[in-house]
Amino acid sequence: MEDCLGSDEEYYYSDQDSLDVIENEDSDLPWILPKGPTTKVITKESLLTAQKEDLRRVMDLLFLREHHARTLLIHHRWDVEKLFAVYVEKGKSWLFAEAGVTVVDHQDLDPSPPNSPVMCAICMEDVPSNETTKMDCGHCFCNSCWTGHFVVKINEGQSKRIRCMAHKCNAICDEAVVRNLVSKRHPQLAEKFDRFLLESYIEDNKRVKWCPSTPHCGNAIRVEDDQFCEIECSCGLQFCFSCLLQAHSPCSCLMWELWAKKCRDESETVNWITVHTKPCPKCHKPVEKNGGCNLVSCICGQAFCWLCGGATGRDHTWSSIAGHSCGRYKEDKEKNAERAKRDLYRYMHYHNRYKAHTDSFKLESNLKESIQKKVSISEEKDSNLRDFSWVNNGLSRLFRSRRVLSYSYPFAFYMFGEELFKDEMTEEEREIKQNLFEDQQQQLEENVEKLSKFLESPFDQYNENEVMDVRMQVINLSAITDTLCQKMYDCIETDLLGSLQLGIHNIAPYKSKGIEKASELPASWVNNANNAGKGPALHCGTSGGSTELEQPSGFGSSEESGYSSRKRARKEGLGGGFDLNLPAEVDRSDS
Amino acid sequence: MQASRARLFKEYKEVQREKVADPDIQLVCDDTNIFKWTALIKGPSETPFEGGIFQLAFAVPEQYPLQPPQVRFLTKIFHPNVHFKTGEICLDILKNAWSPAWTLQSVCRAIIALMAHPEPDSPLNCDSGNLLRSGDFRGYNSMARMYTRLAAMPKKG
Repeated sequence: MEDCLGSDEEYYYSDQDSLDVIENEDSDLPWILPKGPTTKVITKESLLTAQKEDLRRVMDLLFLREHHARTLLIHHRWDVEKLFAVYVEKGKSWLFAEAGVTVVDHQDLDPSPPNSPVMCAICMEDVPSNETTKMDCGHCFCNSCWTGHFVVKINEGQSKRIRCMAHKCNAICDEAVVRNLVSKRHPQLAEKFDRFLLESYIEDNKRVKWCPSTPHCGNAIRVEDDQFCEIECSCGLQFCFSCLLQAHSPCSCLMWELWAKKCRDESETVNWITVHTKPCPKCHKPVEKNGGCNLVSCICGQAFCWLCGGATGRDHTWSSIAGHSCGRYKEDKEKNAERAKRDLYRYMHYHNRYKAHTDSFKLESNLKESIQKKVSISEEKDSNLRDFSWVNNGLSRLFRSRRVLSYSYPFAFYMFGEELFKDEMTEEEREIKQNLFEDQQQQLEENVEKLSKFLESPFDQYNENEVMDVRMQVINLSAITDTLCQKMYDCIETDLLGSLQLGIHNIAPYKSKGIEKASELPASWVNNANNAGKGPALHCGTSGGSTELEQPSGFGSSEESGYSSRKRARKEGLGGGFDLNLPAEVDRSDS
Repeated sequence: MQASRARLFKEYKEVQREKVADPDIQLVCDDTNIFKWTALIKGPSETPFEGGIFQLAFAVPEQYPLQPPQVRFLTKIFHPNVHFKTGEICLDILKNAWSPAWTLQSVCRAIIALMAHPEPDSPLNCDSGNLLRSGDFRGYNSMARMYTRLAAMPKKG
């Protein structure tokens, strides 16, 4: 493997253009189309928008009303692709029957003359027909019984799938009917029902999860493709989408869980006790030998031999202990103690390095302010060097590399230990892989430390040539550490984890620009709802024709419009609400 | 509360009317509390419970019929879906598959059907379930018949 750390000349890139690219890390290359963030922050206001996107796709493809589309999506856990796959594979009728969707042409349902009494099969009372409700499945019961049924189900937390009351009827009740009947008697419950339906998009959706911040920021995060990724919420919290713990790549979720537990609980204290103490044969308390000979006395008064742990008399000479001889070798005890000792030292080795880098990361985070001061001082000087973006780029590269480096130690602890991969590699393979990985780790560590040293240098007091020199070093080291991080991830993904039989260890891919910031989803539907009076309403025909929503050109395109709409929604009391009838109420007059 | 009373009263009337129609089920309402019922059901024919008369206790909730009644066997019975000590019944329609369209009468019919067709894969009585799962129908039948004779048949003399 080529050495990245030869003479000083090797740090320098000869091509000036490449420096500019590295220097302006955040500027996208003009010939590469900028790819938008694949993760979205869903706020309280934009939750409705997010849900409507998926609903719209299903409504348009299957020519359905909104509540039927929602029923299908809830059944398929908001996985639109899976829903479409089932539709293609098994057909519409199977898809509908499985999810409890009954689409009927209401003209076919024989209307009973108004106010003629109908026998309700639930309360067994004769009720005027205008006080009954017939569901899509054709079952008709009195409004009082329906309301009671809905109230019970909502209180039981089954809002998302309230089935018809008839025996063995799989049909899901129309949410508009539920809302309408419940709100008459229990307005709070109707709100709860709406909230459950709305939050179903997060609770039941494997692509969407609540941000794990405490206190909770109220946001959810939606990922488009890779579920093994690390994300930064708009509240600033960086976390692993898969396990919702702090961002921990290149550790897999399982490794990080085990490591966090190991650091948190007293497993290593127990190990220390095993290595450095012996239990008293009488009271079984652990006893530490603080010097002297092998006759040890416990506080309970029992004397015992330190070598074998056996109880003895109190008398002893230079060569023997009264009533005791322990020359016999007890293999198991020795082996266990040795193993415990070895494991403890191994853990301490990795933990110390992990902690050292984590502490450095914390200290370097405080560097930011002092570096900003240095930059502002340098910018005020009369000098040709005006652009100090290389400092900030170098600093952010330092943070990212330090993070990778600190988490690479828990990874190595489990990768090359016997806890997870005992039977996955031979001793020889393990040694080769460990050497390969540790070489890369070492190179990265050296370059990170150099980068840290250059960034901490008092460049505000340097002359122009010295500053130029520091600049070159920082730019080069930034590029090198980035390459080394990428190499380390490649090594982990292909040579280490890639060769394993069990596919349970997935890691978030390396991102050169750091953990991806999730972009906010604009709450454009809310905006449209506010203009419902002015703009065209959304109509759903009974025939199941596709629904169209006309939008003014450029609607919701800029972030600005999304933001202003959100502000307006809050002003008008829509922002925090959970009205699922947004956008404009579906016209059911012809149904 | 009022709705459930009205419904139970209707069921009571229906029971009086159906006494002759369904001789296998005898539903009796408590004199002082309409929410407490007992039933006497005949063991289904061609089963080890044939000839036995089993007593059931119904505790009807105030939310009835929106919530299911709590039913248990008062008569000892050896059946995989009935707890041998408490008489609790493992039957989907009494738990998550309840529909308000069910009546106490139809619940009794469902229990009779369960006696004839046990579900050994979700047992409350593991000994009974294990006999059926291992295919020892003879052992199951003899045990069930023995307990039917001991507990569900009138003593002679």
